[in-house]
Amino acid sequence: MSSAVGKPEQQSILGPDPGNGQNGASNGHKDSAPATQPVAHSRASNVSERPLKVIKFSKVSKRFILRHERPRSFQDMLVSLFGLRTLSRRGVAMPRPANEEFWALRDVNFSIYAGEAVGIIGENGSGKSTTLKLVSRILEPTSGSVSVRGKVSALLELGTGFHPELTGRENIFLNGSLLGLSRKEMAARYDKIVDFSEIGEFIDTPIKHYSSGMVMRLGFAVAINVDPDILLTDEVLAVGDEAFQRKCLDYISMLRRRGVTIVFVSHALDAVRSLCSRAIWLDHGRMIADGPAGSVVDRYLAYENEKHTERLKAEQDNRPVNMPAAPTVPEAMETVEDDEEMLPQEAATEPSQAGPPPHAPRADVKITGITFVDGSGASSQVFRTDEPLTIRLHFHAHDRVEDPIFGVAIYTEGGTHVNGPNTRFAGLPIPAIEGTGHVDYHIERLPLLAGRYFVTVAVTGSEMTDILDHQFHAGSFVVQPTPSVAERMGLVLIPAQWSVHPDTEA
Amino acid sequence: MLARARQSILYRDLLYNLVVRDLKVRYKHSFLGFFWSLLNPLLLMAVFTFVFSTLLGASNAVPMYHIFFLCALLPWNWCASSTVGTLGSIVNNGHLIKKVYFPREFLPFSVVASNMINYLLSLPALLIFMLTFRSPEAGDAFSASCKHACINGHLLWLPLLILTQAVFLVGLGFFLSALNVFFRDTSVLVEVGLNAWFFLTPIIYDARSLTAFPTLMYYLNPMASIITNYRDIFYHNQAGSPDLLFMLRTLAECTIILIAGYLFFMRTSRSFGEEI
Repeated sequence: MSSAVGKPEQQSILGPDPGNGQNGASNGHKDSAPATQPVAHSRASNVSERPLKVIKFSKVSKRFILRHERPRSFQDMLVSLFGLRTLSRRGVAMPRPANEEFWALRDVNFSIYAGEAVGIIGENGSGKSTTLKLVSRILEPTSGSVSVRGKVSALLELGTGFHPELTGRENIFLNGSLLGLSRKEMAARYDKIVDFSEIGEFIDTPIKHYSSGMVMRLGFAVAINVDPDILLTDEVLAVGDEAFQRKCLDYISMLRRRGVTIVFVSHALDAVRSLCSRAIWLDHGRMIADGPAGSVVDRYLAYENEKHTERLKAEQDNRPVNMPAAPTVPEAMETVEDDEEMLPQEAATEPSQAGPPPHAPRADVKITGITFVDGSGASSQVFRTDEPLTIRLHFHAHDRVEDPIFGVAIYTEGGTHVNGPNTRFAGLPIPAIEGTGHVDYHIERLPLLAGRYFVTVAVTGSEMTDILDHQFHAGSFVVQPTPSVAERMGLVLIPAQWSVHPDTEA
Repeated sequence: MLARARQSILYRDLLYNLVVRDLKVRYKHSFLGFFWSLLNPLLLMAVFTFVFSTLLGASNAVPMYHIFFLCALLPWNWCASSTVGTLGSIVNNGHLIKKVYFPREFLPFSVVASNMINYLLSLPALLIFMLTFRSPEAGDAFSASCKHACINGHLLWLPLLILTQAVFLVGLGFFLSALNVFFRDTSVLVEVGLNAWFFLTPIIYDARSLTAFPTLMYYLNPMASIITNYRDIFYHNQAGSPDLLFMLRTLAECTIILIAGYLFFMRTSRSFGEEI
């Protein structure tokens, strides 16, 4: 955030002009619109008439004034009126800090058409939530204009406006009226809401007795059942149990099919990719790209990854001694060894009960680094579906380790465990290691679809429970779509064939 | 302006629900509910009647002091609770302001409305005291010889007075609730100011008996005019008609306050979302 303060002229790395960024983003997709016009999507282009513009941002900027020591009381105001220094609570004179400007959004232009599902992505502090708040009229733009047509329902925070002393039933009506519905309209929706929320007989109990999950379910049920024209969501799906999350996502897809416009702010890029037709990428308040969700997310991931790599490189340059085993480790090793000699059995079984101790230099071998190698043998962070990928584990064994097992585990960004192979499962015997070296896990044809993946690495003794080194999310790589692979949805590319067999008897 | 009016119609049930919420939450926990809210004015009435009628002696006693006092105290309580309530109505609902858009003006408005309902519910108690507990020199409440606190046609002016007071309180509430967002110690100043305001308003004494600048007081303090009007129809209602011009002048002044308050509120409410 601090980098944006005072430097509003800062250019983005990828696209100097927000409008131009979109041309690159829509490569390989049909009907890319002119740069100033957001892409009309398949859904909209089927309609012969121009689709209705429901949200329009024209040259919207939003400035926040960060007043570190703002006059919140008349006393402060009077004091600052006379140009005196404000006094802190302890009565010590402090220099009066100048007000800092912070541009949450800068000259943002876009239009969203009826029935579109648009994801807004970007790092923290990039202006995503500010955009939603401008759409929902909670904030007003500093300059430019925001016009919104239709009833907006915001899932900004579920259960907002619930009063703990009132019952679920009373809160449904109160919350509905906050969203602009009459009692009659709410009465018509009441049964559906209660049904969806799964609150059941507790509906006439004051909600202070509800669990937080129940409050959230009720809030969600109200928010989506008010029949909004535009639904705004901000990371709300990150809460709740998995079954309910599933239900919510299904419901949002259903609303989408019904023609409800959806604006979705999320860090869950998988969800953006699967739910949205279009994505807008914001960075430090500026629009970097606007185009089909898949390609914008890919570009964002590639950029994030580049940044991550640069940061890693900078860290390595700053602390070159850190990656090889630190010189103090052998001393620690000796004490561990002493312990093991005394209590060999207990030491071996202990980790399995306590779970993996990350980075605990318990024994003789350490994974000193992880690199990703592409088909040409070069180290890389970005790969393509259906092309080779090698995960290379560099190790350093201070002493001879007999019969070790190396393993990796690949996770999606959303935390889904994709696989967890190791050398034992693969039937690769490693009699002993000593000194340095590397172990390769080679994938000839990467079956993963586009996205960012994290790799956890581990090395164990001959018993898999005897964990010698375990590094959670030790590295990450990005998979970009390949032109030859048309598949977009989901996680993996499963080699399979389609065929059609019409019944010819009738 | 037209768009705002249309929007207010869209949200019309919000007002109802906010008022119901206020009332329900206020009385949910006590067995006697609303009746507790009558206890305070009745106790005050007893104390002041004791002080002014008994302790200070009969020479300067106001006849039927309990009615004289109660018919002024009840609207004052509406005023005081509305002022305190509207003051925090935006700040205390910050979680709503920051998350949902709805017409913000409904928040102070609903506070005045729920306190008005409270006031209306307390009026029967006043009427019961007017019927019973009568001193012999005041005469029967319904008779032609009635001198003070009679029950007659003057009471029909009550709706106009209630409207006038509601207009004033909403206007004041707009000012205070918005000001409190930007200067949080508005609430402290108002709480102190309320005590002074109580004594500068003719509640325990009669405004018409004052010698120094009563007219100026009426103009500077709309509550003084409003209370005097209430007292004209509840207490000094033995003969003639109440001062209609005075009532309309008060209404006009309160309407100006309402319009100014509304404009101020609307101007400042744009930045509520980021200031809270």
